Amino acid sequence: MTKSVTLSVKDGKIREAVNSFLKELFNKKTIDAMLVPLAHPAGTNVVQALVTKAVFVDKADVFAPVMPVNSARLIQSITRLTTVDRKTAVVLRPCEMRALIELAKLKQVQLDKLVLIGIDCPGAYAVNNYPKFAAEKKSDDFVKAGFQWAEDTMLRTGCQICEYPYPLTADITIGMLGLDPSKQILIQANSAQGEEILSKAGMSLEIDSDLAQKRQTAITKFAGEIKERRKEFFEKTKREIGGIEKLSKVFAQCIKCQNCRQACPVCYCRECFFISPTFELDADRYLRQAEKKGALRMPSDTLLFHLTRMNHMGNSCVGCGACEEACPNDIPLLKIFQLAGSEVQELFSYVPGRSLEESLPATAFKEKEFEQIGEK
Amino acid sequence: MQEKVGAVLVIGGGVGGIRTAFDLAESGFKVYLTDRSPGIGGTLYQLETWFPDNQCELCKLLPVFNRDECSQFCLRRDLSHPNIELIPNSSVTKLTGEPGNFKATLNIKSRWVIEEKCTACGLCAGVCPVEVDDEFNRGLQKRKAIYVRNPQSVPNVYSIDHENCTKCGKCVTICPTKAIALNMPDTKRELAVGAVIVSSGSNEFDVSRIGQYGYGRYANVLTNIQLERLLANTGPTGGELLRPSDKKAPNKIAILQCVGSRDTERNYCSEVCCMYALKESIMLKKQYPDTEVTIFYMDIRAFGKDYYRYHLRAQDSGVKFARCRVSRIRENPKSKNLFLLARAEDGKSISSEYDMVVLSAAQCPSPHLSELGKILNIHTNQWGFVETPEFYPTRTSHNGIFVSGSASGPSDICETVLKSSAAACEAATVISSARHQSETKTSEHEHKAEQDEEAKIAIFVCHCGEEIGAVVDFEKTLASTKKLLNVVTVEDVGFLCQKETLEKIKRSVTKTGANRVIMAACAPYHYYRLFNDTLNEVGIDASMWQLVNFREELAWVHKDKRDLATAKAQNLLAMAVDRLRTQETLTAQVMAVTPKCLIVGGGISGLTSALFLAEQGFEVDIVERTGELGGHSRQIYFDSPQSFVKGIIEKVNNNLKIKINLNSEVIGISGNAGNYKARIKSTDGKIAETNHGAIIIATGAKDYQPTEYLYGKDKRVITQHELQKRLAEWKLDKASTVVMIQCVGSRNNAHPYCNRVCCSEAIANAIKIKEKSPDTQVFILNRDIMTYGFKEQNYTKAREAGVLFQRYEAGKEPEVNTSNRTLTVAVNDPGLPGKLEIETDLLVLSTGYVAEDNQTLAKMLSLELTADGFFKEVDTKFRPVDTIIDGIFITGLANAPRNLGEKIIEAQAAAQRTANLLSRDKIKSGRVISEVDAHRCSCCGICVEVCPFEARYLDEDNKVAVVKEILCQGCGICATACPNGAAKLRSLKDKQVFSMIDAAF
Amino acid sequence: MAETKEQFEPKIIGFLCNWCTGAASDLAGTTRAQYPPNVHPIRVMCSGTVDPVYMIKALLSGADSVMMGGCHPGDCHYVSGNYKARRRVAMLKQIFKSLGLDDNRVWARWISASEGPEFAKFMNQITEETRKQGPSSMANDWAI
Repeated sequence: MTKSVTLSVKDGKIREAVNSFLKELFNKKTIDAMLVPLAHPAGTNVVQALVTKAVFVDKADVFAPVMPVNSARLIQSITRLTTVDRKTAVVLRPCEMRALIELAKLKQVQLDKLVLIGIDCPGAYAVNNYPKFAAEKKSDDFVKAGFQWAEDTMLRTGCQICEYPYPLTADITIGMLGLDPSKQILIQANSAQGEEILSKAGMSLEIDSDLAQKRQTAITKFAGEIKERRKEFFEKTKREIGGIEKLSKVFAQCIKCQNCRQACPVCYCRECFFISPTFELDADRYLRQAEKKGALRMPSDTLLFHLTRMNHMGNSCVGCGACEEACPNDIPLLKIFQLAGSEVQELFSYVPGRSLEESLPATAFKEKEFEQIGEK
Repeated sequence: MQEKVGAVLVIGGGVGGIRTAFDLAESGFKVYLTDRSPGIGGTLYQLETWFPDNQCELCKLLPVFNRDECSQFCLRRDLSHPNIELIPNSSVTKLTGEPGNFKATLNIKSRWVIEEKCTACGLCAGVCPVEVDDEFNRGLQKRKAIYVRNPQSVPNVYSIDHENCTKCGKCVTICPTKAIALNMPDTKRELAVGAVIVSSGSNEFDVSRIGQYGYGRYANVLTNIQLERLLANTGPTGGELLRPSDKKAPNKIAILQCVGSRDTERNYCSEVCCMYALKESIMLKKQYPDTEVTIFYMDIRAFGKDYYRYHLRAQDSGVKFARCRVSRIRENPKSKNLFLLARAEDGKSISSEYDMVVLSAAQCPSPHLSELGKILNIHTNQWGFVETPEFYPTRTSHNGIFVSGSASGPSDICETVLKSSAAACEAATVISSARHQSETKTSEHEHKAEQDEEAKIAIFVCHCGEEIGAVVDFEKTLASTKKLLNVVTVEDVGFLCQKETLEKIKRSVTKTGANRVIMAACAPYHYYRLFNDTLNEVGIDASMWQLVNFREELAWVHKDKRDLATAKAQNLLAMAVDRLRTQETLTAQVMAVTPKCLIVGGGISGLTSALFLAEQGFEVDIVERTGELGGHSRQIYFDSPQSFVKGIIEKVNNNLKIKINLNSEVIGISGNAGNYKARIKSTDGKIAETNHGAIIIATGAKDYQPTEYLYGKDKRVITQHELQKRLAEWKLDKASTVVMIQCVGSRNNAHPYCNRVCCSEAIANAIKIKEKSPDTQVFILNRDIMTYGFKEQNYTKAREAGVLFQRYEAGKEPEVNTSNRTLTVAVNDPGLPGKLEIETDLLVLSTGYVAEDNQTLAKMLSLELTADGFFKEVDTKFRPVDTIIDGIFITGLANAPRNLGEKIIEAQAAAQRTANLLSRDKIKSGRVISEVDAHRCSCCGICVEVCPFEARYLDEDNKVAVVKEILCQGCGICATACPNGAAKLRSLKDKQVFSMIDAAF
Repeated sequence: MAETKEQFEPKIIGFLCNWCTGAASDLAGTTRAQYPPNVHPIRVMCSGTVDPVYMIKALLSGADSVMMGGCHPGDCHYVSGNYKARRRVAMLKQIFKSLGLDDNRVWARWISASEGPEFAKFMNQITEETRKQGPSSMANDWAI
């Protein structure tokens, strides 16, 4: 059962419609603050901002095709130590939302008093590609062009193969999938809190509206298609990077700057294992390591770093591609991490960010599983 | 009266003796653990697996607290505790004195091998010309006259069997350490002890006495212990099932139950054999799925906690069951196959052919028990088991002498373990005033390595004669090792385990100023303690030295590969060096203990635990929900148990150390083992806060309220409890027919467990009826009659008194109807066509127990419940009253259904386990425990979730995970789960493992 | 490398748990079961202590195979360490598979304290199979 209201879009002005909806939440005092992407005055970026005055919501541009950071990380900064003391809405893309749920399981964010507003995501360009887009087009144009994850090759790789461009957990969804957003947008309440806020904002919720059903049908159709597309993509990736020689080639350009893990929303460690005392070695150790193969690449442990990181966060990888964006040398990290990530997730029938109730595979086990491992 | 002695003599080193010894040792008493054989372990070490997981888990017997005092290895390899002295090869010859102050004389049979000198290299056995049947493998293979009981005997020292030794002297010549002394005399030893515990175990019935089964004549007729040895990895076939006659795998196996028991001569049930047979058949089916396994039985007595599920599992795995007694076995002389002749339930005779027959031999008293009984002046019963009173089943006729395990009657491992803790409890109660008086004091030495001091590593390499020297190139190994960083000396020292060598090592450590030591020698099980004590004397702490196994893991297994073995030796030393370089001195965390116990539940179990704890000197708070003590036991209407229960209640009421809180409930618990804080709320709304070191859950269970068989609808349908009440007042005059139905509300889908007590209760009631009114017809409709152990006698007595037992099968339960005011019970006779219809005046339902609503309490204490809603123990066999949360114990019906005597045992066991914790002012954590690098911790909580012992929690204020050191068992699972190394396992930090890997090749 | 396959002596790191596999390795010695010296044991308390990172590190630092030995499922001194270890190995093997790395070089085996012969058999097996696979390119690539 869905509960939703239809937001009519006047004159095809999608951004305005969405912003006025968001502003209404402020005005009706359903929320006190909002983390929302605002157009940077420079015009070259859209950045998340923690807004406390409704007037700033006018600058919001939630569908602009740019995602400079995965905002789950920002919410981690805000709530890791204490919960927010007033109702704060966070407007997130689906991959940000999923990362947020993963971080909540890892106790890195506190969801209390947060209102999760998720959007159907048309994808994003690389930050440094965005100014070019922004110079010529507006986000409304981007949305009107339709959801073209497969076709728009300028989109970030992660967006092109995104499995969930719609939020899996949100109090309120700003839905556009399967609809004509230049006319109508669906505002759907997915939780008691979502319903309460929408009602308080004076919107009367419709049960199983045609629009909601239309969107649902589009999602179902998409889910079938994307599986195939991802499969093809992963097969291709395996051909490109599979095996130690190719992998070694891919990581040849790695400088071990660790930007990838810094940008990764689910790499939550305060300090990475790779800058721990375990890696503070005597000269003797370096030399002995070198002796083993005759030469030791420096900085050392490049592949160890990536494989370890994969082992640590693979189950929670939401495929946002922040790693790849952060890489100074354009190593196709998203491809590699989504490939391994999605396959380990499948192994545990785990979908990161699907539900708070689902325990992290690292903390659970079943007596009857992987029974061939360890046996003769 | 003389002062009491804080030491206990334990006779018999099987699982029972070991459990008792640990319990007493942990609670501050000295233990002499003796055994007639050259090594400990008893029957248990002949088995490799058991219910419920068909795994071993023997190590769960090891102490949880102060665990560094004890060896931390597989118990099949080593058992050492400062308070336990092992005295194998010994027998008691005299006992004088009184409870609290006995003098025991032991005769210690000489091994003809000097223990301190023997390195267990086995050269002696290699040259020994005498071959005899190996009793450990029940004659399935041979051993020499100089031998170890099993491949890794504890203690691991060779012995010469005097009877068979020809004194040829070959062993004397070859022994590299001159450890053999063929004329070494037996010795006598006098021990002052405060109590004695007989734990001498049992023997298998000599099945050759049943001539018609042909054991001893037919090669393929075996006993169940022989089958265990055939299935054992350490057995004669390496775990492969090969029948003796032709060493081929059998396709059809019959297992015969009750061989030598439940007959006229031994009218008792051997109790363990059903579970033995079930386990063996499950294992056979797993290993050889195509092999047909049939169990011939009378009743499958799977009555313990979760035993019935195991029975079902055997059925599911394809094991066949035939309810009949085999009358004889004939061998086909050519094929050596065996024909079984039997009469089935329907009276038809059966004859079928099997490749192998296994006889489930009865447990009989050890043949030495009668003599021992005389020496100790304790009574034995008609079969020769030690006689015990009904309600204190570990007491003997001699004050201060207690009995555990199967010495007092057939017992499986679980019962033995419970009885052993109970016996320990009884003994500790006698000598509680002498607690800590006879303990072995462990000396504390100063340790020299400081955290930031540079590592100086001394390495001592043992030749073990030619054992290591012949395989490893010492010159090469020493040369490369000397070059390693931080190594101050590498010495080739001959025999590392010999006294002179150890002196040399001490001097060398002092001279070189070494602060870390590597001993390259044999497996740690042999000399760990000796090496540790030696190194301690020169300031090398346990965490600062390491053993590298050059013998069992190197020389003995890579004999013809000198080059590779030498390279491996070099690498192993380099790895050890690199680990030790960054090793820190580890100190145990010490925590004060509140010597007071909280007991939740004032039933007979809780009261018994309370009483014994109080008598051992501990304070106890009892919290009882109702306004009255006694719980279920108040439903007992017969005189003797009733007065027993009253006696306990009175003693509890009069004991000043016990505080009783009636009409109260525990509403909150915080803290951990040693220091719990409980909030107790009484019905008048008052809340009290109390401190306790430990908690015993004795909250009982509920009576099953039947909905079956017109109960509640027809007044003539009652439960056994209601019947008992009527019987006590004798209100049954009018009943000329009484029908009892067993397993009402148990052994079904809703309650897939046996309630254990109902068969005995029904039979007791039936006998009562027959005594008062012999003409009353009594039918007991049953599925299997669970009169295990000596209860079998009552079963016989009931049949003799004319009680009619009628079997029914699951799924074909009796039908009960009322028409024309008559109450009719119809039941399918499995053996006959049609139904048996009985008109009855009274229908008695044997209902058992169902779990209380334990959820709230379980959640409050972080305890797990079983699928049936009872509290879950850590390990069914070895820690049956412990919960996963240290310092919280379970007893009584909250754990599983039990009868009164068994409840007493279990309650005493729980009291003893509690006393282990409460008996010291302070408890020590292990040295190797996990820790948190607070600066790195992200407070994600993964470590908390994966910790099996609830030894971690999140400090939400400081955003950091915290280790409860006392609870941490040092497994390191948290460290593995922690992604960035904020959780660390001391002694095996990531840095250390990484450097070992780097040093490996 | 000049080594031919016949001469190739694989280098293997084995993590053995203290309670079962470690005890089995000792028993193998006591019974003088012979096996090749290619496996270098590292004693850990529990198979649950074996961080997959150790296995990756070993494979990247020169090991041709790596193994983890623990108690049989249902028999863990620390209740469930081996179940957790099993999951981790499953995950590591999957990552290797996904990336086209040789997951056959990651081994696990449950060997109880009494399975001395089994331990020796396994040592033979892992050595021979690794030998068949040849030197691991992961172990020998200096540039990774």
